[in-house]
Amino acid sequence: MSEYVLEIKNLIMDFPGVRAVNDVSFNIKRNTVHCLVGENGAGKSTLIKILTGAYIKTSGTILLNGKEYIAHNTREAKQKGISTLFQELNIVNQLTVEENLTLGIEDTFMGFLKKTDKIKKMIGILKSLEPSINPKQLVSSLSVAKKQIVEIAKAVATEADIIIMDEPTAALSENEIQRLFKIIKSLREKNVTVIYISHRLDEIFELGDYVTVMRDGKHIATKPVSEVKDRCELIKMMIGKTLFESYIPKETQSSQTLLEVKNLTTDKLNNISFEIKKGEIVGFYGLVGAGKTEIARAVFGADSYRGEIIFKGKKLYNSPDKTIEAGIALVPEERRSQGLFTVLTIRENISVMNMQKISRAGFINHIKEKNVSAEYINKLRIVTNTMEKQVSKLSGGNQQKVVFSKCLFADSDLLILDEPTRGIDVGAKSEIYNIIRQLSKEGKSIMMLSSELPEIVNICDRIFILFDGDMKAEIKNSSDIDCEEIIHIATGGEVVC
Amino acid sequence: MLRNIDKVSGIDKISTRSRMNDATFITLSMLGVLIVLLGLACLFVPNFYLGQNIINLVTNYWFVIVLGIGVTFLLITGNFDMSVSGIVAMSGVLSVYFCQAAHVSQSELANGLGLPYWAAIVLALTASLIIGAINAFFITKLKVASIIVTLGTMSIARGIAHIVTHGAQRNTSLPDVFKVIGNITVIGSIKLSVIIMIIFVIIAVIIEKRTVFGRRTYLIGANIEAARLSGVKVGQHLTILYLISSLLAGITGILLASEYVSGTSNRAMGSEFDALVIVLLGGTSIAGGFGSVSGTVIGALILAVVTSSATGLLLRPEWQFILKGIVTFLAIMAQRFALDRRNI
Repeated sequence: MSEYVLEIKNLIMDFPGVRAVNDVSFNIKRNTVHCLVGENGAGKSTLIKILTGAYIKTSGTILLNGKEYIAHNTREAKQKGISTLFQELNIVNQLTVEENLTLGIEDTFMGFLKKTDKIKKMIGILKSLEPSINPKQLVSSLSVAKKQIVEIAKAVATEADIIIMDEPTAALSENEIQRLFKIIKSLREKNVTVIYISHRLDEIFELGDYVTVMRDGKHIATKPVSEVKDRCELIKMMIGKTLFESYIPKETQSSQTLLEVKNLTTDKLNNISFEIKKGEIVGFYGLVGAGKTEIARAVFGADSYRGEIIFKGKKLYNSPDKTIEAGIALVPEERRSQGLFTVLTIRENISVMNMQKISRAGFINHIKEKNVSAEYINKLRIVTNTMEKQVSKLSGGNQQKVVFSKCLFADSDLLILDEPTRGIDVGAKSEIYNIIRQLSKEGKSIMMLSSELPEIVNICDRIFILFDGDMKAEIKNSSDIDCEEIIHIATGGEVVC
Repeated sequence: MLRNIDKVSGIDKISTRSRMNDATFITLSMLGVLIVLLGLACLFVPNFYLGQNIINLVTNYWFVIVLGIGVTFLLITGNFDMSVSGIVAMSGVLSVYFCQAAHVSQSELANGLGLPYWAAIVLALTASLIIGAINAFFITKLKVASIIVTLGTMSIARGIAHIVTHGAQRNTSLPDVFKVIGNITVIGSIKLSVIIMIIFVIIAVIIEKRTVFGRRTYLIGANIEAARLSGVKVGQHLTILYLISSLLAGITGILLASEYVSGTSNRAMGSEFDALVIVLLGGTSIAGGFGSVSGTVIGALILAVVTSSATGLLLRPEWQFILKGIVTFLAIMAQRFALDRRNI
């Protein structure tokens, strides 16, 4: 057997308008922990999805144990030797640990389950990983950490060559993380290679043998972790140099406070306080799970919270319809499930948030409604031949523009944008940035929450950095802003100022 | 319409034309099915083509259509209302009980509360609204699945009818005015109830197509979370719809009780199913966001033609249930097939 368990050569993955993985080549050594890092949109998840069979590569070769590898679904990937520990665990809560271990690979006699050595072997592996789990226990009674261990045991028992772990520590406490790390390290002796994905850079130094950095779909470097000097070096490789040049500072700053948030606290958020002035674009940067969406939804009144939110001098009610009336609109994180009525037409979507404007005494004025739709389709350059097109038939970028139209028509003073450019192509992105800048010029305030640093430093006047539900730092944007420092803080590093 | 767009200066022309939308397409194709069925019935069923028979078709189904209006609106939001048939029985029985003369007979079932008829109507409708309010409370506040809640209230409402009538009916010691509204004819031989049904349908179509309220009904069905985040008061809206649906059922119950001059505990048994069937036949989708009251009316006519021509063809009436089931399956399959073809 060769030294490498997985060899990736010239791998390319194209989506309409985007090359998500661009000519990537690197090898993964057998029985190591190989970390994969990169910003959002760097191409990590796409690469992983090709390995697990969710996507079929456009071109290039993948060799697993020296043999050509291709999978069409997770099941096939598993059979060929690549198991994955997804963030959403693939485990049945209503069954016992033992039943979960053998699920799908039970030995049967005429349809009845048989007790065989296979079960003993599996339980043996589980015991060697974590003795405290009782095989007869219901899985629903286990913590997330222990559920993960059950899944790892299953992968080991089915003789997986590679286990991919996608942010496995996101939902774990400090003790649980340490226990998981011990198990991951012990996997090397069990002839298993681990591909480990995490945004928390410290984990990589603690756990990894090798690290591969990706950026903008390209492979930047693969090297032993021992040869990486420090976090700074990793961050530099992750963000590159040339990205952040187009921020233009505003000449005048309004002093009028529009929104004031005091000690906002929820399950995820700890004492968040900030202010937004009229005409200001304020960015919130943080990793997935840092609490950005929670802030957006609390301010908008979609979730309950403790603390005080004051808008234009008045306390906000905790209800979206009241918030919209007060003058706030939200472009939600998930446009299909939260922002759009995909079975309805563009026209019917655009008018939703401000029906008073197109109706009288409860009756819709259809001519007014059509004029409004035509106006926004033109203004935001939504590509369509008719306003009667179902929104589900538009591209991602155009769908997002429909969400923007909807929120702009609400004629609010504060727009909350939660991941406004997620999943849309580069052209549509820059159009959306222009719309945001234009709105700010018109005196509207923007609260933009994003896990993409380039867009945050491109357009925001002030940046708040979040980590694990805490507000870690506030930075005023300037043309010589220190992106490395921002990533350092957002990945859990200490604030040094 | 297009000309108005052109008038707005500085705006490029964006077409408002489209291929016919799916809702209109389904309604028209079900109308086609109705016409074909009607033609076949006229050809093969003896005496079917007689004018009186055709009028009977509509008049016998008036109450299912009235129930269907409320059910259509709710199903467009993605919610069921199975309680309507129970409310029909309850409100009919209560309207009788409240205005039966008090202390006139040895028989318990002949004694009522002796209230004036108008008061009996108001109280029966209030009781119906209470059932609607219970539906709304459990569905919007406690987030229980609508089909479970409304099956429960269906049983409760019918149970009230059973208790008040001792499982039978009340039909004595009623004032003369009681039998008027259900039997009075207005134009020619058409009953007032049918006219009321037509008026309700017209109002419902206007609400559905022309008002903000109608639009919001579709928004909730299309995406309840997006509707909430777009400022639609979802709970309030569903509450209003459940109140309307129960009110329509209450009115139906009072009219039927008057028509038969009796409050019967088994009245309209199974009509919650008929109402749901005609709504589905009319193209309203269980998934929500899609459907129309005009479709429901066509669905009712299709069901009426099928069941009455089957009776005309000497199928025994017991077969009606199986026939309804088959028609439902065929209609839903045909709609799915047509929509899939269209959207390739």
